[in-house]
Amino acid sequence: MKKRFKYLLLEIASPFIAILFAVLIGALVMLVIDKNPVEVYRTMFLFSFKRLDSVAIILFGMTPLIFSGLAVAIGFKAGLFNIGIEGQYLIGTFLAALAGFALKGLPTFIHLPLVILMGMLGGMLWAWLPIYLKVKRGVHEVISTIMLNYVSFSLIHYLIADVFMDKQQGLAPGVGNPIIRLPKIAATAVMPKMHSFLSNFGINLPQHVYLNWFLVLALLMAVGYYFLVWRTPFGYELRAVGHNPAGAETAGIKPGAVFFKAFLLSGAIAGLTGLSDLLSYFGYMDLDFPRGYGFTGIAVALIGKNGPLGIVLAAFLFAFLNRGAEGVQAFVGVPMETIVILQGVMILSIVVFSSVMGRYIRQQEKKEAALGSAAGKPGVTVGAQGGVK
Amino acid sequence: MEKTGAGVNIIELRRITKRFPGLVANDSINLEIARGEIHAIVGENGAGKSTLMKILTGLYQPDEGEIYLNGNRVAINGPRQAIWHGIGMVHQHFMLIPRFTVLENIVLGSEPARGGVLKEKAARQLVEELCRRYDFRLESDTRVWDLSVGQQQRVEILKVLYRGAEILILDEPTAVLAPQEVKELFVNLRNLKDQGKTIIFISHKLDEVLSIADRISVLRRGRMVGTVLAGETDKKRLSEMMVGRPVLLKIDKQESQTGQETLVIKDLSVMGSMGRPAVRHVSFSVRAGEIYGIAGIEGNGQTELIEALVGLRKVHTGQVFILGQPIVGKSVREIKDLGVGYIPEDRHHRGLVLPMTVWENAVLGLHRTREFSRPASLYFKKILAHAERLVREFDVRLGSVDLPIRNLSGGNQQKVILAREMSRDPSLIIASQPTRGLDIGAIEFVHKQLIKARDQGRAVLVVSADLEEVLSLSDRVGVIYSGEIVAEFRPQEVTLEEIGHYMLGSKAQPREGVGA
Repeated sequence: MKKRFKYLLLEIASPFIAILFAVLIGALVMLVIDKNPVEVYRTMFLFSFKRLDSVAIILFGMTPLIFSGLAVAIGFKAGLFNIGIEGQYLIGTFLAALAGFALKGLPTFIHLPLVILMGMLGGMLWAWLPIYLKVKRGVHEVISTIMLNYVSFSLIHYLIADVFMDKQQGLAPGVGNPIIRLPKIAATAVMPKMHSFLSNFGINLPQHVYLNWFLVLALLMAVGYYFLVWRTPFGYELRAVGHNPAGAETAGIKPGAVFFKAFLLSGAIAGLTGLSDLLSYFGYMDLDFPRGYGFTGIAVALIGKNGPLGIVLAAFLFAFLNRGAEGVQAFVGVPMETIVILQGVMILSIVVFSSVMGRYIRQQEKKEAALGSAAGKPGVTVGAQGGVK
Repeated sequence: MEKTGAGVNIIELRRITKRFPGLVANDSINLEIARGEIHAIVGENGAGKSTLMKILTGLYQPDEGEIYLNGNRVAINGPRQAIWHGIGMVHQHFMLIPRFTVLENIVLGSEPARGGVLKEKAARQLVEELCRRYDFRLESDTRVWDLSVGQQQRVEILKVLYRGAEILILDEPTAVLAPQEVKELFVNLRNLKDQGKTIIFISHKLDEVLSIADRISVLRRGRMVGTVLAGETDKKRLSEMMVGRPVLLKIDKQESQTGQETLVIKDLSVMGSMGRPAVRHVSFSVRAGEIYGIAGIEGNGQTELIEALVGLRKVHTGQVFILGQPIVGKSVREIKDLGVGYIPEDRHHRGLVLPMTVWENAVLGLHRTREFSRPASLYFKKILAHAERLVREFDVRLGSVDLPIRNLSGGNQQKVILAREMSRDPSLIIASQPTRGLDIGAIEFVHKQLIKARDQGRAVLVVSADLEEVLSLSDRVGVIYSGEIVAEFRPQEVTLEEIGHYMLGSKAQPREGVGA
């Protein structure tokens, strides 16, 4: 049991060692472009954490990444690679926006949950086809989801620019150009900020910060994810199918059904990814609605090793890096790309380190198992033949 | 250079040691192999046979020790160098390309060619010359997929000879053969020996080893127990050397007390993976309190038959009843819930989820029962207690039930499966290759458990490629050939010879499409 603790410690330590390694590589890159790494990292930290509003911005930034990370992770747990979070959250965001501006006169406690559900529905909808094709026709989900990402980009473009574009943006004639966007969502569908709640604790955030209750929803979702995957029989089936579909099938679990449920669930969580931005920050969906959360979510799940806490921490890490990148760009003149390099190296080194560590731990376990079985084996020990007479 | 005659060892291994994390696979092994002998190496699984052979063929480097070939010390750095030294390996699992011809398969990898163009005539001459010299009857233009297993093995042996091997290592060569084919193989091996080749024969089938080998070396737990002359030992003494204690060679069992028919199969046909019928019009039944064994060479529809019975594969036509209930069209879970325990032939693929812990595997398939869970939660305490109980009752040797089950030895993994399936209190047990890859101790255990289940009044269906196992375990035996049960008898009623004929299909009615 003591050993288990040691393994756990090693497993937790490995991403941190990897991050440190990446920081060193990042320092080399900065030296190459003639910047002082100490100065750059210092600025990154100070800019990110010295001010409360900056911390809140990081928390706002990690919210979508938790959702997309969880969406990827639940797929991974079932042995599915949902690379289509990107498309799923765009469709989800669109449906949510549609319900947000089209429905009027509903009270907030109905309208807002409805809009959130529409987002999840959209994500599920966009996840349904790939998993249907996989289970029924054997089409690999990586291929179909990547292609559906492109379909979603074009579809959203069409829907925003040609079908639902807001033609009355209230601009005075001759003043500027209208943005190509959907109409604004109704006030009853806006997710409240956390400002008034936090002010109870003496934390006063300025108005330009959009930290909202989706963060809490995301954290709850991570907790729910833990319970679902590790504590329920469904989660057990999910993991069994993820590791060995044939073995699960033999035990009477239907891999196809588990695939279906897991993937739709993944899509539903993915559908939440864009909502923090939509329902709090922008208030409308336009052609430039943030992209890329889905792909970052893959990195988040990877670094977080598909665990709920790991995903939350990894999402925080990425949000911090993004925020810090803005800081160093503005104050030290280090291009944002440097930080992108840092992110890339981090992902690579974490994958390498945790695989090396995993191998080491497996080896140790094997040793332990061998010792255990040897110790428990009466009579048949090496060289016993001559000795026992 | 050429040294011949008795007393000169073609291979000498001195104090070979190979360590892997957590175990010593070969512990200071000394081995002498004389030129022109057939030298058998026996030992249980995990005794270190294959590690030793991998060292000889250059796949592993020993941590300590020396290898001498013809009295000269050598280092063997890879298979290519091994064959350059004249050491060739015939693997247990054939490495042939089915759609290539015999000729193409043999020359593949070292084709005679000029300027990148294959010299087919030269290749053909070489191969046909080899066939003649060693009396291997093979058509060099036949495609490998048209060959029987025994013939495919001959191709494998020719491949090695073609590359100039003087020393042939055969890894469990009889595992896939019918008795007649084993005889043919032995004739071929004796031919090779007469022509001066040296043969290392790895096996755990002691009868065969005793009949073919000149000398036998026994490995146990990584150590060399000793080398004996085949003529001066017997099965009992050999197995004691292998296991380190006296072994029951005969299975102890009472007359069976059969009850009603638990499993009834009527005119069952099942399609194989390629869309061809793999099981054709099979009918038989298994009674409570009896063990029904299915003998046959692998790939004759056993897998498909069993998979259809447990619901993993669709039934094409026919009917199956378990305890009187029709099961065609039912799901795996519904069938198992009727009271079926299933021990799959490939425990890593079908029986377990290797990365999951022992306790998680102990409830695989039982996790939805009201004893162990509600939809909202698994009952961890009960599951752990259940796992601990299985481990205790079935004497599973392990460090902790909390470790992934892949760390357990094959025997202990099989015990977990057996324990889990028995804990369902099944009326019918379907065991497919239940002792494959296990060591003698574990085999004994599995056999005892199956017989115990029978004596408790359960119906047991056993499929095994090991004819000896089927015959000693079963109360009734059916022989499957090309998807049909071609014979059914009691084990004492027929000779091995006759069973072999059934297994090879030479006693079945001829029909179109056999072997196609």
